[in-house]
Amino acid sequence: MPLVLPLLLAVLLFCLGVYGVLARRNAITMLMSFELMLNAVNLNLVAFDAWRLDGLATGQTLAVFVITLAAAEIGLGLAIVLLLFRGHGHVDADAARDLVEQDGGIPAADGAGTAAGRTAVEKGAAS
Amino acid sequence: MTTALFSIAGAVAIAAAVLVVTSRRIVHAALWLVVALGAVAGCFGALHAEFVALVQILVYVGAIVVLVLFALMLTKAPTNPLPALTTRRSPFAAIVAGVLALLLGTGVVIAFGNEKIEPVPAGSATDVGTAVFRIWVLPFEVLSVLLLAALIGAIVLSQRKLSERSDRLSSSGKED
Amino acid sequence: MIATTWRVVGVGFSLLVILAAILLSGVEPQQTSFPGTGVGPDVFWTFDLRTDDLTVLLLAVVGVVSACVQVYSIGYLHERAASYTALVTLFTAAMVTVVVADSLFLLLIGWEVMGVCSYLLIGHYWERRDARSGAMKAFLMTRFADVGFLFGIFVLGIGYNTFRISELGSGPISPGALTAGTVLLLVGVVGKSAQVPLQTWLPDAMPGPSPVSALIHAATMVAAGVFLIARLYDVFVEAEATLTVLAVVACVTMLVSALCAMAAVEVKRVLAWSTVSQLAIMFAGLSLGTEDGRHAALFHLVTHASFKALLFLCAGVLLHQVGSAAFVVLRRYTRRGALRRAMPVTFVTMTIGLGALAGVPGLAGFFSKDSVVEAAWHHARDGSTIGWVVLVSVCLTAALTAFYCVRLWLWTFFRTPALAGALGAFEDDDPMADVDEPDTSKLREPSWLMLGPLVLLAIGAAGLGYADGVHVHWGVALVTTVLAVFGALPAYSLWQRGADPRPVVLEHEFGLDAAYQGAVVVPVRWFAKLAVLGDRDVIGGYVRATGRAGTLASQGFRLLQTGNVQTYLTAAVIGVVALAVLAGVIAS
Repeated sequence: MPLVLPLLLAVLLFCLGVYGVLARRNAITMLMSFELMLNAVNLNLVAFDAWRLDGLATGQTLAVFVITLAAAEIGLGLAIVLLLFRGHGHVDADAARDLVEQDGGIPAADGAGTAAGRTAVEKGAAS
Repeated sequence: MTTALFSIAGAVAIAAAVLVVTSRRIVHAALWLVVALGAVAGCFGALHAEFVALVQILVYVGAIVVLVLFALMLTKAPTNPLPALTTRRSPFAAIVAGVLALLLGTGVVIAFGNEKIEPVPAGSATDVGTAVFRIWVLPFEVLSVLLLAALIGAIVLSQRKLSERSDRLSSSGKED
Repeated sequence: MIATTWRVVGVGFSLLVILAAILLSGVEPQQTSFPGTGVGPDVFWTFDLRTDDLTVLLLAVVGVVSACVQVYSIGYLHERAASYTALVTLFTAAMVTVVVADSLFLLLIGWEVMGVCSYLLIGHYWERRDARSGAMKAFLMTRFADVGFLFGIFVLGIGYNTFRISELGSGPISPGALTAGTVLLLVGVVGKSAQVPLQTWLPDAMPGPSPVSALIHAATMVAAGVFLIARLYDVFVEAEATLTVLAVVACVTMLVSALCAMAAVEVKRVLAWSTVSQLAIMFAGLSLGTEDGRHAALFHLVTHASFKALLFLCAGVLLHQVGSAAFVVLRRYTRRGALRRAMPVTFVTMTIGLGALAGVPGLAGFFSKDSVVEAAWHHARDGSTIGWVVLVSVCLTAALTAFYCVRLWLWTFFRTPALAGALGAFEDDDPMADVDEPDTSKLREPSWLMLGPLVLLAIGAAGLGYADGVHVHWGVALVTTVLAVFGALPAYSLWQRGADPRPVVLEHEFGLDAAYQGAVVVPVRWFAKLAVLGDRDVIGGYVRATGRAGTLASQGFRLLQTGNVQTYLTAAVIGVVALAVLAGVIAS
């Protein structure tokens, strides 16, 4: 089997992942695209392992590690997405622009931050 | 034989991946991700990395995609097709990705165009297991610590704010 | 408390100087050397001190005058007395440094410290505009001259390969270097001693306290110029051309400043111009290049120190008791005869001082001036043009001096017989003259703290002429006395008629100030404005442009911060791709 076959497959998967990350609005689809990119890397690892046959199973072991890492990553990523959803009411990465540079330099907080602030103010007024 | 198997699985993976990044329905995209990851697992198998393939199916298909689906559910993702699933920059992103693919593909072909993967004996979990626990013990343990940290991080991130919770508790206490 | 401490220190220091002079008198000339620094590969300068007759003489003069001034100041000055007394002490110490120095650089240090002290003391009443500008003028003009002085030191020191004064004049030196060095030194001397053409700062320094004027004019600042030439006399005698320049400068100065003194309408200003004139007489004596001339000049320096200090302290009494030394104010008291009656001691001492200045036979100034004339006569008889010029100039100056002394004396202390004089020949420059009739009953003598120095100096002004051993050249004495009488008579007759004609040229002091204003001050102001413009609009423009460019650029970069993660990622990926392409291009 020619080595370029798995490698080209990995390249295509990786670039599809890049496209997905750059183009999709939904934060969860962005995470899915990350998974595609990680898989492309795994494919590379396994292909080179099969090509080199170093006896240590380096590529395969690393691929397993990467899968573990991907699990950790998706766990954290989804937690962040949930936080985003809780704060803004949507998971649109294109619309989450709290960090935009504004005149006066103070980003206008909406969603959870403001809600929390408002409750705090109300609390202060009540007490 | 393996080449043919690999080619088929690879074609399926590419097609499924294209659908993942272009599908108008998010839930469909998640399901196509299952197909893509399964096909990649097939590729692993064709490369005689059966253990990795199994872990792939177990962890990715069994856990990660399920998590993603849960997340979709929790974020009230619509199941009907969305008109604006991609941003305005999607053509530009496509160009960037295309150029990147061209670049990487050219590099790969130039570098490894004549290399062949020799037929290998059927892989076994024994080899990988021995390697992990004999040579890669320390990274393995570090990785477990990392997983623990990610676990705690996910809990901290996804729990409600302490102040909000105390608010709710105090208000409920008042009602009592 | 601090002021008292400083007064004790000041008077004590002056007494110490007198004591040093007494102890050192008659001691063999000797030099003391302290370790110094190397200048260049083989030229060294050290902190050398020396004592000889000249040192002792100047130490005595400085000590006595500064002691008088310090004691007088206790009664005279009450505001900011601590800093004032400290500065006067420093001033005296600087002059002592100049006097005892055997190293040109040590001398320069004392010289410059004197410049700073004169600036600070002239500006003692810094609330007054004229005091500030007078101080600034004195500082700038003497500093301008000091540049020449410094380079003169370099030229002479390098030329003789030593900076020790006692070794100067002995080594081989090229005539050009000698002339250049002495002329450059002369520039410093002219500035310090207020000779033409740098004479204008001295009359403008009059807003300073009177005791300071006495100190500057009698013992320290302006006398330092005379002292320097006397100290380096061996060197100056070698340089013919420099002595000629000095003679011309001195002769022009003595006539010009005496003429200016004739038209001044303020006691201190008259005295200031007379100082310039008398210093010029000393320089004239020095410029003869003979030992007689040097002796006469130093003799005149000593007598002049006593009577000029006396006159300035008297003017200070007038300022202190009356409130002004302007003729117009003094006339208001005088036309009732109050001034003479209320302040007899001041009147008598000032009369002695003016007499000494005018050259009344028997008083100090008479003998010392005659010795200059005599030295000039001897030199002229030997066939020297310089001798003749000096002789004629000093004689003319004697007449002019008598004129302004008599004028000052009569108009200040005596009622005029003529009605016009009673109503005032000076009141055209004081519109308030008729409105403000002074209360003459409160006018009285100041305390004995101030009168004591006056009496002491008056004794000196009367008797110092005999200290040199009386030798009178009867012909010279006759000529100068007759000339003085010729100068005094017109002043008397003008006073009797109550008229005081002042030519415009003399009132404007030959227009030199205006000329300097046009030639130096205005162009310098223009340059300053130009420099400010250049700084603000050119250099500042670049500075501001840097800031603005930064602001503009950052405003542009702000647009890049969209807050959108995907935009950032796109940029990052593009960057990675670009770098990869670049790496490929470079590698291939």
